[in-house]
Amino acid sequence: MTFKSLLLVGGALLTGTAASAGGYQVTLAGIKNNGMGGVGVGLSLDQAAMFYNPGALAMVKERGVQLGANATLARQAFRAENGSVQRELQNNTTTPFSLFAGFGPAEGKFRAGIAIYTPFGNKLQYADGWEGRFALTQIDLKAIYVQPTFSYAISDKLSIGAGLTYLALGSVNLQRDVPAQNADGQFASIELDGDAERKFGFNAGVFFKPSEKLSVGISYRSKIDAQVKDGDVTFRNLSATATPGFQATKFAATLPLPATTSIGIGVMPTEKLTIGLDVNFVEWSAYENLTFDFNAPVNGSPTSVSKRYYEDALTFRIGGQYQITSGLTVRAGGAYDNSPVKDGYITPETPDSDRVTGTLGASYKFGEKFGVDLSTQFVNLKKRTQTQAELLSNGTTDRVAGTYKTSVVVPGIGLNYTF
Amino acid sequence: MNTFSLKKTWPAVALLGLAACQPELDAPAVDKGSADFSSYVAIGNSLTAGFQSGGLANFGIETSYPAILAQQFAKANGGDFVSPKFDEGQKDGSGYLKFYGLTTAGSPVILAPGQSATATLAGQTTPRTFTNNPADYKFAFTGRTLPAPPLGSGAAELAPFNTAQPNNLGVPGISVLSADRTASSVPQIAGAAQAYGNLNNYYQRLLPAADRGVTDYTTFIGRKNATFFTCWLGNNDVLTYATNGGVAVATDPFSNLTDTTSFGRGYRNIVRTISKNGTVGGVVANIPNVANVPYFTAVTVASVLAGFQQVNPAAPAVFIQTSSTTTPVRAATAADLITLPAASVVATGVGSTPTNPIPNNLVLDAAEVTAIQTRTTQLNAIIAKTARQYKVGLVDMNSFFSTIALGGIAINATSNNAGFIRGNLFSLDGVHPTSRGYAVIANEFIKVINATYGASIQPVNPTEYNALLLP
Repeated sequence: MTFKSLLLVGGALLTGTAASAGGYQVTLAGIKNNGMGGVGVGLSLDQAAMFYNPGALAMVKERGVQLGANATLARQAFRAENGSVQRELQNNTTTPFSLFAGFGPAEGKFRAGIAIYTPFGNKLQYADGWEGRFALTQIDLKAIYVQPTFSYAISDKLSIGAGLTYLALGSVNLQRDVPAQNADGQFASIELDGDAERKFGFNAGVFFKPSEKLSVGISYRSKIDAQVKDGDVTFRNLSATATPGFQATKFAATLPLPATTSIGIGVMPTEKLTIGLDVNFVEWSAYENLTFDFNAPVNGSPTSVSKRYYEDALTFRIGGQYQITSGLTVRAGGAYDNSPVKDGYITPETPDSDRVTGTLGASYKFGEKFGVDLSTQFVNLKKRTQTQAELLSNGTTDRVAGTYKTSVVVPGIGLNYTF
Repeated sequence: MNTFSLKKTWPAVALLGLAACQPELDAPAVDKGSADFSSYVAIGNSLTAGFQSGGLANFGIETSYPAILAQQFAKANGGDFVSPKFDEGQKDGSGYLKFYGLTTAGSPVILAPGQSATATLAGQTTPRTFTNNPADYKFAFTGRTLPAPPLGSGAAELAPFNTAQPNNLGVPGISVLSADRTASSVPQIAGAAQAYGNLNNYYQRLLPAADRGVTDYTTFIGRKNATFFTCWLGNNDVLTYATNGGVAVATDPFSNLTDTTSFGRGYRNIVRTISKNGTVGGVVANIPNVANVPYFTAVTVASVLAGFQQVNPAAPAVFIQTSSTTTPVRAATAADLITLPAASVVATGVGSTPTNPIPNNLVLDAAEVTAIQTRTTQLNAIIAKTARQYKVGLVDMNSFFSTIALGGIAINATSNNAGFIRGNLFSLDGVHPTSRGYAVIANEFIKVINATYGASIQPVNPTEYNALLLP
């Protein structure tokens, strides 16, 4: 299969993402890494190092291209404090994808590469008529980064690297019902749809491998404020009486895609066994409010401010791989993710909770140059309840009181070609 | 790697995906506690009947708080609950107000059956004439009238509810004084309570023919073998007087503020009767402060004055006629409450000069507000004491309505308050709740029932019930 047809496969899978790390972050880049609990900062497995630690890229011997695609299958149950029916998401599958291509001289000290991946995203569609319909009926948030990367090996033990992270595509579509009924009893609805301005950030990393059995890494990916300046506002089913209060046609909003700092350790007790440990620190506290500025008042106000008050959060990851035969490698891992969302601040667009993830993976090499990677992540979000009393005391009554329980399965497949 | 391998691997990946099981959350426990809901009976006035937007119709009866409670009780061994609905061909019952839109000045155009008005709606430039055609209603009037005064009211007769005594015994307009013939020691008032079936067409339609004019409400409800009851009575012992601007009508013996002695006698007799001397469980609700409803808050002195000053920038004040004999006409202050029906009168300039004041029956002046609030407090003390005496729960609707008037109530990401039209909770008459408002009230009842009887009756989601439908 040629490089061109690999790209076509990726295009057919579309983009979009769903809950797979705290908040709306998605840590699904390398399919090999996915099978190992998402570790990678202290490892130099393959071209996906551009995402996990650009400093490690120079230590990746092979040049190559790899394409990965995941399917996130989220299932959620919700019970409102008022009303005893269990609500479930309308099932939908999103497909975060990634592409990594690394180049460089066979024996040189540097590697260059280009990476395309989806580090943030969220897609949820709630059942018709659910209790939180006035907070959210559906959301589709996408962010695609394109990252040219350069990595240089200062010595055979130490390498550094950096990349420009370019927010090539950012889009948001939010829909919710408006609590004003027309003469037929239908509720009006509002849809906000916009594309983010293209912006640059960066990532950088250092990789140190003091011995054959140990490696350590540290990496940083900067914050990018995804800014929608001229989004479209559409109202539906508005009665003539309500129409004068809902004249907005445009909105502006900013969503922080927060900075992430990671440290990782790799241990290689034998040639066949690799174990990785990562800790990610995400500066979620940048997300204080979600503010929409409208070009005309919506129900009396030209701005809508919704409190988020996220907290910085840590994720702990562990994973390993074992090479069974020259062709087959198997992987397993796990992660524990602290939710950045405080009690009483859970919103339907990110019904987040501390999560425990278990992963499995395998790779098979067809000859010298082709390989297929498979992975599956089982993500279990803890049951989480917020009460109306909490919403009242926090001033967060723009969301719904009740209990959420979510689980996600993320199968993934990757194709890699080395040259 | 080729497309063949892709075809082979994707089913395997999809299989892994099947492991994404739908999480389940346990349904909340439902338990009747020590209460017995096998025969629930609701007694009360228009608020219990499901009156909405100035009338009683099937859509209101179906979302009355007793109907909502019965639906939740049914999940905890509750029995059948019969609502006194009108036949489908007469589903609009007495008729009700309709809302035609907001004018450019923001005033609602609300018309009773048969009324018409000319107005320019917001967003439009030319005035239009709106007519609420009575032919659009499926009324339940028989064409006959109740007996003429003094023995009756002469009101239009409503089709009788023909099956056995229903479970919702709410009668729009009824007060404690008019419900119990032992309440008043004045023979004319006691007699009118006994003859109440000839005075109130909503009561008459529930009564068997032989009882009309001879059976008072206490006797009528005593025929029902309730195992659980709710009682929300007493509102009309202050509200009838308040909505008429603090003016008693000479021909209506129940139009004044009810005195505490009569109220206490009547109220105790009613609760004793329905609770079978305290042996049947139930809850009673008290009387909200009438000044918190849109009927008295939607039209303010400031808004009326602003209207006058648009016509005449020098307009000095809003002049009202008061019940005081020393100053029968004076400039209104913010403490005087102008009633909702005054809106159409002030629109013609009434109240702009001392010689053309707003009539006494359209204004609740500050002194009357104080008198009504004092009486409400006294009557609520009697209700609380009676609840203790007969060991039933007390729903403090007075506090609850005050909370809503002060800060509103947030439910499932909606804000609801006591505002007129936009507040979601009050219907077009400014006194009676919308279906959503009744659902909120039902949830308050459920809280007290759960606390009193150790039950776990689940509340309902009020946003599933209609607020005002906007044209």
